[in-house]
Amino acid sequence: MKLTKKVLAPVMAVAMAASSSVCVSAADDTITLTLWGAEEDQDLLKELVAKFEETYSDFKFDIQIGVESESTAKDTILTDVEAAADVYAFASDQIYDLVNAGALANLDEYDEAFQAVAGKSIADVKAANSESSVAAATVNDSFYAFPMAGDNSYFLYYDSSIVSPEDAQSWDTLLAAAEAGGKKVGMTLSSGWYNAGFFYGAGFTTDLNEDGTTVMDWNGTSASGITGVDVVKSMLNIAGNASFQAVADGDLSNQIAAGGLCAVVSGTWDASAVQDAFGDGYAACKLPTFTVGDQQVQMGSAFGYKFIGVNAYAENIGWAAVLAEYLTNEEAQVARFDARQIGPTNLVAVESDAVKANLAITAVIEQSEFGVIQKVGGKYWDPAQTFGENIAQGKIPADDDAAIQEALDTLVEGVTAPVE
Amino acid sequence: MKKMKSNRTSTIVLHNLLIAVLAIIWLIPIVWLLCTSFSSYSGMNTSTFFPKEWSITHYVKLFQPDSVAQFPQWFLNTFIIACFTCVISTMFVLMVAYATSVMRFPMRKPLMNMAVILNLFPGMLAMIAVYFTLKSFNLTNSYAGLIMVYSASSGLGYLIAKGFFDTVPRALCEAARIDGCSEARIFFQMVLPMSRPIVVYTVISSFLVPWMDFVYAKMILNAGISSKYTVAIGLFKMLDKSLINTYFTQFCAGGVLVSIPISALFVIMQKFYVEGITGGAVKG
Amino acid sequence: MANQSKDTAAAAVSGFFKAIGGFFSSFGTAAAKGDAFVKLSLLWWGAGYARRKQYVKAVIMTVLEVALILFTFGFAMDYVPKFGTLGTVKPEKVFNMQTMKNEWNDYDNSFQILLFSLFSFVVWFAAFVVWMKNVVNAYALQKKAEAGKHINTFKEDLHSLKEENFHITLLTLPVLGVVIFTLIPILLLILVAFTNYDQNHMPPTSLFSWVGINNFLSLFGGGGLTVSFGYSFVRVLGWTLVWAFFSTFTTYIGGILLSLLLNSKKTRLPKLWRTLFIVTIAVPQFVSLLLVRNFFSNGGIVNTICSNIGLTGFLRDAGLVSTSYIPFLSAPGWAHVMIILINIWIGVPYQMLISTGVLMNLPVDQLESARVDGATPFQIFRKITMPYLLFVTGPALVTDFVKNINNFNVIYLLTENVYTTTNQVMANSQAKEVDLLVTWLFRLTQDYYNYKMASVIGIVVFIICAIFTLVAFNRMIKGDKEGTYQ
Repeated sequence: MKLTKKVLAPVMAVAMAASSSVCVSAADDTITLTLWGAEEDQDLLKELVAKFEETYSDFKFDIQIGVESESTAKDTILTDVEAAADVYAFASDQIYDLVNAGALANLDEYDEAFQAVAGKSIADVKAANSESSVAAATVNDSFYAFPMAGDNSYFLYYDSSIVSPEDAQSWDTLLAAAEAGGKKVGMTLSSGWYNAGFFYGAGFTTDLNEDGTTVMDWNGTSASGITGVDVVKSMLNIAGNASFQAVADGDLSNQIAAGGLCAVVSGTWDASAVQDAFGDGYAACKLPTFTVGDQQVQMGSAFGYKFIGVNAYAENIGWAAVLAEYLTNEEAQVARFDARQIGPTNLVAVESDAVKANLAITAVIEQSEFGVIQKVGGKYWDPAQTFGENIAQGKIPADDDAAIQEALDTLVEGVTAPVE
Repeated sequence: MKKMKSNRTSTIVLHNLLIAVLAIIWLIPIVWLLCTSFSSYSGMNTSTFFPKEWSITHYVKLFQPDSVAQFPQWFLNTFIIACFTCVISTMFVLMVAYATSVMRFPMRKPLMNMAVILNLFPGMLAMIAVYFTLKSFNLTNSYAGLIMVYSASSGLGYLIAKGFFDTVPRALCEAARIDGCSEARIFFQMVLPMSRPIVVYTVISSFLVPWMDFVYAKMILNAGISSKYTVAIGLFKMLDKSLINTYFTQFCAGGVLVSIPISALFVIMQKFYVEGITGGAVKG
Repeated sequence: MANQSKDTAAAAVSGFFKAIGGFFSSFGTAAAKGDAFVKLSLLWWGAGYARRKQYVKAVIMTVLEVALILFTFGFAMDYVPKFGTLGTVKPEKVFNMQTMKNEWNDYDNSFQILLFSLFSFVVWFAAFVVWMKNVVNAYALQKKAEAGKHINTFKEDLHSLKEENFHITLLTLPVLGVVIFTLIPILLLILVAFTNYDQNHMPPTSLFSWVGINNFLSLFGGGGLTVSFGYSFVRVLGWTLVWAFFSTFTTYIGGILLSLLLNSKKTRLPKLWRTLFIVTIAVPQFVSLLLVRNFFSNGGIVNTICSNIGLTGFLRDAGLVSTSYIPFLSAPGWAHVMIILINIWIGVPYQMLISTGVLMNLPVDQLESARVDGATPFQIFRKITMPYLLFVTGPALVTDFVKNINNFNVIYLLTENVYTTTNQVMANSQAKEVDLLVTWLFRLTQDYYNYKMASVIGIVVFIICAIFTLVAFNRMIKGDKEGTYQ
C-alpha cells in the first residue's frame, strides 16, 4: 500500500497538474499545524489563526501556537529541524543559515498548491510587498519566506526639547547639543548589527559565499574612496566623546527608561519606551552623518525584515505555506500595525494614513534609503561584536593608523574564516 | 576578674557583630530580590536600591496568566515532575548505595570504577545525544522524558549514600543474616530506618533538581508551548531581551515564590541534611 | 586511604582482567566439555535449561533469543551496515497536490545511524555476554545434575533475587538508566569527535562522515582550519584551571571559617544565623545568579551607587577603570575576580553545612587532652582540627575540583549575553576570557552547531579531569592515616 502510494503520488500530481482542474479535496483528516511567533505576537496570532480557520472552514484544522522569539528562532530550529514548528517567524538576517541547513521550504515549489487554495500565486504575493523585502527573502533566486514586517532596522530617536532637528543631522552637532543639555546620546556599538552602519555608510560591504563564509572588505578602501582606518577613527572620536554612551546590546531599553539620554539609536521596538522617556519632545529621524576627514558621510544601517517561513520538513507543508501567507497578507499586516505599531511591507498597508503618521516608522522608511540588507554568515557576529566593544571602550588608539589597520585585519580574518 | 569578664563580653559582641556583618553581606542580594519583587515598576530599577513605589501587582499578575507568564501552571508542572523524579532518584541512589556498600559480588569493583570514570565527563556534552535518544522514543516534549533525564542516571550519585551506609555496623547485618533475614529485609527494615538522615538528604536533593535545571528542560520542552514549561524555563524566558523590561519584576516575584518552599524545606531538613552529608562524606 | 584506594585501583584493574580471562576460559571449558544440550545451547539458548527441566527459564531464554533476532534484523541491520559511511542517501521529496503533503524518499540521517548503530553494538555486546554466561550456566547445571545435586526450581531462582542475588534486583534498573542516559550519549559524542558534524553537515538535510583525527589536529593548531582555536584553547584552559583552583579552595576555607565562627561558644543564636546563610543556597541559582548579574551590570544598581558616592571617579583617577562605569562583569580581570567572589557567596554556606557536620564528629578526647596540655586555640586548630578536616574532606576536595572544572551554571548565568570579549583573536573562535571549557563547548554546540569541536573539547576535559583525579589521589592524600581517627 505504502509503496503504491509512493509510486503513484508523483504520477498523480503530474496528472492533476496537467488536467489543470487542480482541486484540493476536502479531506476528513484533521490538518495539524504548529506555529511559532514572538511572545508579543501571541494574542494577534490567535486571532489571525481563528480567522484563518474560518476562511477555510471546509477543512478541519488543529493549529498549535508556540512561543519562539524572532531573534532566536534560528538557534532553536537548527538544533532539531524536524521538531521545529511548521510555520515560524524569524528575523531576516537568519535566512541564510536557515536555508543552508535546509530548514526553510522553497516556496516557489508550492506555487501550484498555493494557487489552488489561496487563489493567488507566489508572484502575486511578491508583487504585493515592497521590492526590497522580497529581495531579502530571496536566496539564490528562490523565494523562501513571506515578508511580515519592514521595520527591523534602527534610526535616531531624539528629544526635541534638547536636540533640534538640525542638530540631529550629524554626530558632531548631535553630541554638542547633548553636552549643552547635560545628557547623553546612546548607541550600541558592541553588535555587528549596529556598528556595521558606519561601514555601510562609507561604502563598505559584506557578502555571503555559497559555503556559508562571509566576504568582508572593511580593512581596505571602499567604493567611495574611504579607508576602513578612517571610518574606525571617526567611530573612535564619537565613542570617545564625553556625551556619548555606549550601551550593551539588549540593555538599551533599560537605559532609555533610566532617563539619562536625549537621543538614542534604536528601532521601532523601543518606540513606546522612548515615548515615555522623552514625553512631548519625542521625535525620530534618519541616522546622522559622521565626519571622515573634512567630509560628512551619511550613516548607513543594516536593514532587516521580519519574515514568516515554512519548515521544509513540515508534514502538511502545502497548508503550512497557505497559513504563512495568511499571517502576512495585507489584512494581517494592518492588524499587526494596529496592535503593535509594526511597520508593514505590504505596499497597500504601508500607504495608510495611520502608518504615515507614525513617527518611528516614517523614520525607518527615511533611513531605509541608506539601509543595506546585511548578508553575513554565522562567523560574522562574535568578531564584529568584539570589534565594536573595543571601539566603545577606546581600546584601539585613535592616532595609531597601524594599530587600527591591524585590528581591522584581525577582524576580517576572523569574519572570513571558513565555517566548520 | 571583673576586667576579664568585660573583656569577654566585648569579644562576644565583636564576634557576633562580625557574624551579623557577614550575614548582611550574604543577604543583600536576597533582600534586593524581595524589594524589587514588590516594586510597582515592571522593568529593572537601576537607580535606587529600594523601589520608588511599593506594590504587589506583580504577584497578582503572576496568578493571572497571560501568554507569557503562566506561573501557577508552571508550578504545578514542576511539582509533578519533581515528585516523580524524587521517588525514582531516591530509589536508584539508595539501591545502588546499598548494593555497593553492604553486598559483595564479583562485578562490584568494576561497576564502581565505571561510575568514577563516567562522572569525569562533562555532562553538557551528552545533552544533544540524550535529546536525540529521547526523540527516537518519542519522549521529547513530554514530562516522562524530562523525568527520565533527571532520574535515570541518578544512580551515579550514590557515593554519599554509600558512605553513610558504610557507617552502619557490619556486625548488625551479619547477625540479621544469621537469624535468617533476607537481604531485602535487612535493606528495608534495618539499614533504611537507621539511615534516616541520608534518606532525607537524597529525597531533598533529588526533589530540587527540576526546580533548578533550565538547560535540559529548555532543550526537551522545545515546542514553545508556554503552559508546558517548568518554573525554571518559564522564569528564565522572562529575561529574554525583548521581555525583560515588562517582566523583570514578575521574574523577581516568581523567584521569591519558588524560593519560599525550597528555603522552608532546607531549614526544616537542615539537621538531617548536615548529618546526611557528613555521615557520607566522613567515610567518602 | 590513599594507599588503599591506589592498591584497590590496581587490584581492581588486574582483578577485572583476571575475571574476564576466567570468564572466557570457563566458557571454553563449558563449550568443549559440555554434553549435547550444553553445546546445543550455543544455538538455542533455552536448550540447557530445558534438559534440566527448568522450563520457565528455558522459555525466558528462548524469548530473549527471539527478541534479539527480531531486534537485529528488524532494527539494527537498518543502521549498522551504514556505520562505515554514515549514510549516503540525501533527502529528496515530491509534493503531492492531493494531500498537500511532501512525500520523502527513504533518506539517511547520519546522526541516527550513529546513535542506533551504537545502541545496537551495546545490545549485541550485552547479548554476547548473556550467550556465553548462558553456556557456562548450562554446563554448571549439567555438572550439578551429574553429581546428583539439587537443581533450583524457578521459584527458588526468583527467591534468590531477594537473597544472595539481591544485588541484581537492586542494580538492574539504575545500571540500565546509566547505560542509556549517560554511557551511550558519552560514547556517541566520543565518536562525533572523529566526524565532521558541524553547521555545514547537519542532519537531516546533509550527511556527515568520518574524518579521523583531523579535529584534534585543528585544535592544536594543525589541520589548516582556524588557527585561533589553539590560541583560545590555551587561554580558556588556563582560566578553567585557575577558576577550579580558586573556587574550590576559597569556598572550602571560607566554609570552614564560617562554620568555626558559627559553632563557637561565643555565638548567640547560632541556629538563626545558620538559617540566614542557608537561604542563599535555597534560592535557585538561575534566580540568584541572574539577579546578581543585573545587580553588577554596567548600568546596574551597584554602578549607580558607586558613581553616586564617587567610587567610580576615584577608580578612574587611579587608572583602574577606563570606562564611565565599573566593568564588574564585563572586563577581564574584574570579571574573573567578581566571578570567584560571587561563587564564594553561593558556595560558602554549602561548605559551611558540611564542615559543621564534620566538626561535630571531631575526636573530643584529643581536643581535651590538648587543652589540658595548655595548647592555645590556634594551636589546637592547626594541629588537630585542620588535619582532621583535611583527612575527612580531602577526597571530597578532589571531586569538588573536578566539579568546578565542569561548573557550567555559575559561569554561564553570570556572563552569557553580558560579557563581550575585547580580544579579537578569541572572538574569532567564539571564545571569551571568562569561558570555561564547558561553557565554550556549550556555545559551540548551541549557537554554532560545531559538534565535532565541542566533542573534541569534551574529550580533552575528560582527560584533564582523569589525570588530575589520578595524580591527586596518589599524591595529595598520601600516608596511612586510616587508623588515626577510627
